[in-house]
Amino acid sequence: MSNFNKHETIMSAGIDIGTSTTKLIISRFSLRNVAGASHVPRIEITDKEILYKSPVFRTPLQDEVTIDVAGVQQIIQSEYDKAGVQPSQIETGAVIITGETATKRNASEMLHQLSNEAGDFLVATAGPDLEGIIAAKGSGSYELSGKSGQVIANIDIGGGTANIAVFKDKQLLGTCTMHIGGRLIEFEGGKVRTISPPVERLLQDQGYTLRVGDPQSSSTVTFVTTYMAEAMGRVLKKEVHAQDQVLLLGHEPNWLPTVDTIVFSGGISECMYHHESGEVQEAQYDDIGVQLAEALLRNTSLQHFTWQEPIETVRATVLGAGTQTTEISGATIQVAPHELPLKNIPIYEYDFEANLETGLSHFEDAVEQAVTLYDSAKEGQNFALYLCNLPYLGFRDVQKLAKAVVQVMNKRPRPEQPIILVIQSDHAKVIGQTLAALQVKQSIICIDQINVETGDYIDIGNALTSGVVPVVVKTLTFHTT
Amino acid sequence: MNEELIQQITKMVVEKLEAASGSQTVQQNSNEQIIELFSQQPIGHLNAETVKKSPSGLVTFHSTTEEPKRNIATVKPKPTTAYSNPKPKLAPEAEPVEDKWAEYRKKTPARVGVGRAGSRPKTKTWLQFRLDHAAAVDAVYGEVPDDLLEQLGLFQVQSKVVDKEEYIRRPDLGRKLSDEAKSIIQERCKKSPVVQIVASNGLSAKAIEENLEDVYLSLEQSLNNLNIEMGTTFYVDKGRVAVMDDIGELLQPDVVVMLIGERPGLVSAESLSAYMCYKPRHGTIEADRMVISNIHKGGIPPVEAGAFLGTIIQKILKYEASGVSLVQKEG
Repeated sequence: MSNFNKHETIMSAGIDIGTSTTKLIISRFSLRNVAGASHVPRIEITDKEILYKSPVFRTPLQDEVTIDVAGVQQIIQSEYDKAGVQPSQIETGAVIITGETATKRNASEMLHQLSNEAGDFLVATAGPDLEGIIAAKGSGSYELSGKSGQVIANIDIGGGTANIAVFKDKQLLGTCTMHIGGRLIEFEGGKVRTISPPVERLLQDQGYTLRVGDPQSSSTVTFVTTYMAEAMGRVLKKEVHAQDQVLLLGHEPNWLPTVDTIVFSGGISECMYHHESGEVQEAQYDDIGVQLAEALLRNTSLQHFTWQEPIETVRATVLGAGTQTTEISGATIQVAPHELPLKNIPIYEYDFEANLETGLSHFEDAVEQAVTLYDSAKEGQNFALYLCNLPYLGFRDVQKLAKAVVQVMNKRPRPEQPIILVIQSDHAKVIGQTLAALQVKQSIICIDQINVETGDYIDIGNALTSGVVPVVVKTLTFHTT
Repeated sequence: MNEELIQQITKMVVEKLEAASGSQTVQQNSNEQIIELFSQQPIGHLNAETVKKSPSGLVTFHSTTEEPKRNIATVKPKPTTAYSNPKPKLAPEAEPVEDKWAEYRKKTPARVGVGRAGSRPKTKTWLQFRLDHAAAVDAVYGEVPDDLLEQLGLFQVQSKVVDKEEYIRRPDLGRKLSDEAKSIIQERCKKSPVVQIVASNGLSAKAIEENLEDVYLSLEQSLNNLNIEMGTTFYVDKGRVAVMDDIGELLQPDVVVMLIGERPGLVSAESLSAYMCYKPRHGTIEADRMVISNIHKGGIPPVEAGAFLGTIIQKILKYEASGVSLVQKEG
């Protein structure tokens, strides 16, 4: 039975497997009932304490296209040992595969394997947009955007990619990913060892040549880093030239307002700010990282922006993954414990527009659309229905709503799957109980006070002692203001 | 004076004020003479603070639990008097250089940052305040409509209090059942139920009128789901919380749940509380009672509160304790 007044802690892990480096972080969240004694409890994360930060490891690769899964596992195992934690103690957090690593052949297979082995409820994520968002949360840019009122771009540059995420007032305005990173040209003994395909294409377009074995001091290398810095400036100003397309990975910049402030995080930012100077990292990565950092610092068009130093440089993403991904549901919810944890549940948002009658009249279409969107092959991919803008609900309204929910949910390709509802307002318990009173056959997962929308994926963790569930929302959509 | 007349006059004054201050945007009927109740310009060298948003001091609820982005239905308190016409939206005015109070106002329904005129509140703020105060008084002196009780199948009994004046002066009498009430209860109620639910107007009849149905039906459903037996619910007119001790002696229930109107405030006059106690009897101490308060449209949604109460009752039954004793036993 849920005890709301107990001080509770949960352990969270963040694991970031990037193009060049892999790191891990263990933190402990304190949860407390922040509502007064005579109020319905409200459980919130009141404190986050970082218990262990791993060193920055070189990401083990088998070859150019395969991650060395055993190697990664070994790192995680030994770091868990050093931190003194068991995988079973980890109750939330995220494993994220970032940069070019995500395109490796066995990336997704490894991701799921790790998220299972490294903890019961460790969320697996990947994708450049999400990476940029998580890095912005770890670097402090996200927090800053809530205080300064400015449009802040967080630019996380690692080995393979630069992930830009633009925020204002803690709202994501857009993202962009570029082929800009330290490892795109590697050296060995003062000579070029490898040149990555995007750089090859760039050189070809611009009429330069660079071959393996050319000296590190070649003016072509300087051209590459300078060009990258300039292209970065153009992307931030949304003045992308045709010849910059070669450096874009995915879509063009999609934010609307003008960026005021820029924050660099990631490995390249470490080369700029030397937060971890004790370790002397740069030398062991024999690549263009340092030169790229210098080029960015020197670039005049980037000087038009206000620069802000990040809280974390190379560890921004892992910090974000470990400490910023978990949300706590409302305290009065209805969940079937044996169905948890649930992972990768797509969200379908249904807006009642503050009117129950009109809302219910199109309710059936919602499920149809959700099925078309997420389960077009009717293979039984379940989804969560997010009910927002509900009007004020009386008891009879709740009955009506619950009956409608059962009806539409029975129209799914596999109606026996759990009914998963996310409710914007504080109504999860009564709707859940009403469904139970209707003696529905399916398990019911009904949570509230989590902010999601169509296109998001959520993971719902095991219920904690206080009855709440940790939820990780994987947002991939943008809010344009 | 006639109450309706007062309401009408208040309404007229407020409307005039609205029209006057919103005259840039509100279309004046051309053949209607514009009445200026007061000068639009401040006189003298007063450096009056201007607050652009919610200048009337109209109290709105904002959820304080969520991320700023979410727009959970912020339910405005239902106006309890004639002042119910929607405010004309002022045209977006030039953004104040920095409205330092805006953040605070988002976090509280209290009247912060409503501005002032000289050393007193602005007229609209003051009228709103008077209106809210009047609503609070009305809530105390109002009556619960009989058809509501009939619909829910509740019979009605009286405390030892004779009228409202005595109810206010003599809390001790509100804590006792009248002799007639005792015999009716004896006659009509199931004895030794697990849960006995009682409703009472307490200090706000409005709270019962607005919320009782939703809380009660939701609680009933919740108890049914949990297989917890309910006694015969009834209504005590002019009761106080501790009247549950008398009821406990009479019916010997394990748990009494008392749904009672809260002392009205200036934010809401229709807030309901659910007091719960394990085996209340004569001599029960206050520390053994527990409460979920703030049940109304702008607080805890009544339906959700009812659903939550079921879980608490389950916990009380499990630990055979309530209030501070429950917290101690729970550890």
